[in-house]
Amino acid sequence: MRSEILYPGAFPMVRIELAEGEHIKAESGAMVACSPTIDIESKMEGGFLGALSRKFLTGEKFFFQTLRASRGAGEALLAPTVPGEIVILELDGVNEYMVQKDGFLAGADGVTIDSQMQSMSRGLLGGEGFFILKMSGKGMLVLNSFGAIHKIELKPGQEYIVDNSHLVAWSSTTTYNIEKATSGWVASFTSGEGFVCRFRGPGMVFIQSRNPGGFGAWVRQFIPVSE
Amino acid sequence: MGTTVHSSFRITDAEAAREHSFVNESLENDIMTELHPNALCFGEEFAASGAPCLVHVEEHELTITFIAGRDGVENRSESVRFTELTVSAGGLDHNQLVIAWTGPTGQRTLYLKSPEVIRAFRHAAPDHLTQPIERAAEQVRQVRQRHRAVWTLVGATLLAVVLGLWFGSDLLVELAVDRIPIEWEQKLGEAAYRDFLAHQDVMKEGPAVTAVTEMTQRMIGQIPDNPYKFDVTVVKSEVVNAFALPGGFIVVFTGLMKKAESPEEVAGVLAHELNHVLQRHGLERIVKQLGFVAVISIALGNPPGMGGMMKQLGIELMTLKFGRAQETEADLTGLQLLYRAKIDPSGMMTFFQRLAEKDEGRVEWLSTHPMSRARADRLQAELAAMPPLKAEPFSFDWTHVRASVDSR
Repeated sequence: MRSEILYPGAFPMVRIELAEGEHIKAESGAMVACSPTIDIESKMEGGFLGALSRKFLTGEKFFFQTLRASRGAGEALLAPTVPGEIVILELDGVNEYMVQKDGFLAGADGVTIDSQMQSMSRGLLGGEGFFILKMSGKGMLVLNSFGAIHKIELKPGQEYIVDNSHLVAWSSTTTYNIEKATSGWVASFTSGEGFVCRFRGPGMVFIQSRNPGGFGAWVRQFIPVSE
Repeated sequence: MGTTVHSSFRITDAEAAREHSFVNESLENDIMTELHPNALCFGEEFAASGAPCLVHVEEHELTITFIAGRDGVENRSESVRFTELTVSAGGLDHNQLVIAWTGPTGQRTLYLKSPEVIRAFRHAAPDHLTQPIERAAEQVRQVRQRHRAVWTLVGATLLAVVLGLWFGSDLLVELAVDRIPIEWEQKLGEAAYRDFLAHQDVMKEGPAVTAVTEMTQRMIGQIPDNPYKFDVTVVKSEVVNAFALPGGFIVVFTGLMKKAESPEEVAGVLAHELNHVLQRHGLERIVKQLGFVAVISIALGNPPGMGGMMKQLGIELMTLKFGRAQETEADLTGLQLLYRAKIDPSGMMTFFQRLAEKDEGRVEWLSTHPMSRARADRLQAELAAMPPLKAEPFSFDWTHVRASVDSR
């Protein structure tokens, strides 16, 4: 399995080459084009209940698609719905990533996807919802973002502050606390940041350069109001 | 690659791993992947995502084998004595064991998640580490307990809100409805009434109208402090039905009169409808629906897709349940009204029994109206509790009235 990001930037695609018999899972609707040797199947990853909980709890899709090179080697082109960068991570069996609900694009078969409950304060104020996806296992993991993806590397004990709703993925060795952006409640909101996440290393934090919610609010003002 | 090789690594793990790395420095990749890392090591020379490694607990030290990556780094091992270690709990959910020490190349931090290794370490650890390990374990337990407690609390609150809505909303609705003046209700009902009648074939006079008017008057005379001016209209239609609008506007279809074998049966339905008005059921329903939609919308927002469907379903179920409660109330109060007006209440029952023959197989829980048979049985029980009634007949001839409706 080899992967390559095409047209890096706002409108990228990822090309994944599959040897005969190999398969990957991808977010439903992610496939743009593929070789005729590749079969597309629909699968409820994690069984019916797993898929159901993923759908209701995280807002991720109920079905994933499986792209299987069942009749010979081939390639598939995948793209996310929103404009934004793609990043490819390699899971080696011990590192795990938490991914916000829209972040998953595709993963090797060895990658396990679970929905995991966050703590109350993180769920309520973190901007990611109460349930996030936990990616573990082994193999390639493809994530997408809204805007560009920025990688923050944290050494043990090193801290970094990220505005909530800019998070894409973070390793499970990091911890974070939700705090007010400034010391005062009023200033916290008037500064436009509200709550922020104080991350503490070691580990990686991937952030997106645009905030989907903020963008949505911006677009809304241009949509004509119908009766 | 047989499972035997696989499991032998599990058992003797680092021992074998070390052997591997010493003997075969440049083993082929597929054999290398046999080393299953069980921890992440962080330090100056490693990538920020941590170096996958295999930790093995020995008598007085930890052996850490770094696994060769694709970037050509070879497998190598290092050992660290227990005396140099400090331990704590860490990670996103505070469920990983963090072991830190200062090695020759600087600060090292090890994140352990594998239960077997943690157990082995706990077992082998010397006295000076026992306390910190127990403290870390205690911390993990506390985090888990707190999680559980908070979510139980949230679950209980949600349940309480749902149950409160289900059972307590009737009271709230009644309070709200009591504050709405009758005039508003009448205006509301009248608008809908005029609108409805505009498209219907209304019967202005004739034996049917006279009969319905007599029944209504007899019952209205028995309502103490009646604030409503009832208006009953007969509409020519095959529909076997009658309905009441808020404010005292009642419509009876001729289809119902054709189906009825005695005037008491029609009077029973009328009594039911009159009580819908008197109990202000229409208004209650509007308030309930508006209020419930508002509450649900506040709680759930406007969820797309399946969530939206669930919301709709919840509203529907709530409305159904409410509808049935109202019907039962109108039945029972209707029965009492018939009794006071000295109209034989058995007509109400026979009519429902006749309807019951049609609705076998319906599911009561999913219907706005209670099953006709269940209604009839409930009324029968209620009636049995009342003293016997000496019914007074109506002044009109029912066969004549029915014939006048039928001929059209």
